[in-house]
Amino acid sequence: MRNPVLTLCLPLLLQAAMPCFAQDYHEEPQVRIAAAPPPGLRGRSLNLPDISVVGVLNGHLSDDKTDSTRDKFEFDEVEVAFQGFIYPKLRADVFLAIHKEGTKYEAEICEAKASYLGVVDGLTAEAGKIHINFGKLNKVHTHQRPMADQPKALTDFFGEHSLTGQGGTLSYLPPLPFYLQAEAGVWQAPAHEHEASGKAEVANLSGNTVEAAVYTESTDFSLSGPLYTGRLKTSLALTSKSELEFGASLAGGHGSHYKEHLDRAIVSGLDLTFRAWTGPESRWTFQNEWFRLSRKVPDGNLERDGFYSFLNYRLDKQIDLGGRFDYSEGAMPAKSIERAFAAIASYHFLETNAVRLQYKVRGMEAKTAHEGWLQFVFGLGPHTHELE
Amino acid sequence: MERFLLILLLTGLAFPAQAAKVRVAASNSDLGYLCERVAGDLASVESLSSGDQDPHMVDPRPSMVAKIRRADLLLRVGLDIDMWVDSLLGAGKNPRVVYGSPGYVDASVNIPLLQVPKDKVDGSMGDLHIFGNPHYWLDPANGKVMARNIRDGLCRVRPEDCPAFDANLSRLEGELGAALKRWEKTLSPYEGAGIVTYHNSWVYFARRFNLKLLGTLEPKPGVPPSPAHLDRLIKDMASGNARAILVESYFPTKGARKVAATTGAEVLVVPSSAGGQPGVKTYFDLFDAIVGSLARALASPSGAPSCSKESPCSN
Repeated sequence: MRNPVLTLCLPLLLQAAMPCFAQDYHEEPQVRIAAAPPPGLRGRSLNLPDISVVGVLNGHLSDDKTDSTRDKFEFDEVEVAFQGFIYPKLRADVFLAIHKEGTKYEAEICEAKASYLGVVDGLTAEAGKIHINFGKLNKVHTHQRPMADQPKALTDFFGEHSLTGQGGTLSYLPPLPFYLQAEAGVWQAPAHEHEASGKAEVANLSGNTVEAAVYTESTDFSLSGPLYTGRLKTSLALTSKSELEFGASLAGGHGSHYKEHLDRAIVSGLDLTFRAWTGPESRWTFQNEWFRLSRKVPDGNLERDGFYSFLNYRLDKQIDLGGRFDYSEGAMPAKSIERAFAAIASYHFLETNAVRLQYKVRGMEAKTAHEGWLQFVFGLGPHTHELE
Repeated sequence: MERFLLILLLTGLAFPAQAAKVRVAASNSDLGYLCERVAGDLASVESLSSGDQDPHMVDPRPSMVAKIRRADLLLRVGLDIDMWVDSLLGAGKNPRVVYGSPGYVDASVNIPLLQVPKDKVDGSMGDLHIFGNPHYWLDPANGKVMARNIRDGLCRVRPEDCPAFDANLSRLEGELGAALKRWEKTLSPYEGAGIVTYHNSWVYFARRFNLKLLGTLEPKPGVPPSPAHLDRLIKDMASGNARAILVESYFPTKGARKVAATTGAEVLVVPSSAGGQPGVKTYFDLFDAIVGSLARALASPSGAPSCSKESPCSN
């Protein structure tokens, strides 16, 4: 991709070049003789797919001097989506993104998938590059999340940009009187690419000092290589205005530095979400996810836990107020516990546009850091994501 | 894993498809009611949303996915007001009710639409619907078109029962016709009267009953009222002699009460669907409540409101 910005924006520029007139209404009624098409079938004579752009602009303040994004106001991500049906019951969704990776912008295929909705009754299949359905937040794109950052456990166990794989998944919804969905997938996830820049003395799991290569790439852990994943989710409607959701997830594969560490890893997760609608526009959400990383390396095993609890109150269709508690033990041999609390306030202008303020205090073993975000999320055009 | 698959299979077999009744999932309660009337005992109908919810803003839930999963027929308002249904259809994995299937019914088909944008639409116009104003069910004459669409869908999925559906439809159309005459007669003394509404939901209603819409509290669809806009609206209401402000039961009334305090118009908190207020259980109750409260407001000299959230029109 020689010029990713131009490649992503060219279709939008072409659309923008179309004539633009002031809004006007027909005085007389028009008889609709065909059903309004669903998302993905909106192209008129040009048979265009749904094309949309979503931008996430972050202002980030932090007193953590090791944070490369501190004290900056910049785009975190611009996502362009092309969505539509390509065959009866077969749709394609392509999400291309330019996002901040460290101090540089990188273009990547965020997701590109074909979904077949009619394998057999209740069974659907997806193939492509996909945000893996693990827990509640991993599948959700940044701009859809009700928070400016992501819980530390997700970053520690899946990396900065969600657990994503190239492969396929089958999802089955049996015909039960209640909601129960089972999903299984097989994937190939990229390893971290890096080069050794030297050697250093480090402690292994037994506390012995060994010589190890030092890599210039970040030490982030995530799963990579051939992956298998599974998720089971059910829900219980407690009343007509409240619902309890349970989920269990599993992902197994290599660590992202497998060539160097020869580690195999399994991340298991449980999630519990309670939602209650207390008024026409008000809603409580209490969302909890727990993760356990079991990592087997040549000289032993390590187990690390992480979880977050997120409580949110939607006052009305404009305002959300929430708080989140994070706990994570990290994924490295040297356990590094971090606890954090975040307070979040969001104002939604319209469905796809929001401004968000977030304050977070992080307690690490050696220090405490304070962070703040001012985030703008805006959307142009019809942009849809499947339900988690 | 094998045990788990076996359990899934057995539980699936334990709840086999019911052949006796058509299972219907309706995106709103009015479609649900009309379907109950057209199908009679031959269908079991579940509404995905209740009448006290803003139809634009329904949160999809897993329990709704389960309703879609087991449905033979899906009824939706369409025209983008219930876009949340699309995400449920994706999650529901039920090929019987997806777009283009016999079990998919968009009730807006054959509806004479108002406010269909001729040209480009964007966010500067608020949450404008690109296929036209979607609040068509608030014209009771459109109830007949909706019922016919439902009948068509029922006949597609259960052709052997089509004569029964036709007979039920005929009865329902007769009742709707008689009720419409009654409602028109009730409001006929107030033809041309000016009203203001919170959202741009009442164009079909106003056209049916020859009422004049003088403005909306929202400056643009989906944009909350601003003080500057309300000041302009108050001036427009004074020149148009607006007597009533219609606010759906799920919208806030603060702005409406501010305007009412200045203009003397009455704030009418009304349902916009069956179930939108206590006692409003059917599509007929809906118009009885709206027409009744509006007639009382337009007949009475400006003063204390006759309907409110605390004292709904239907009580």
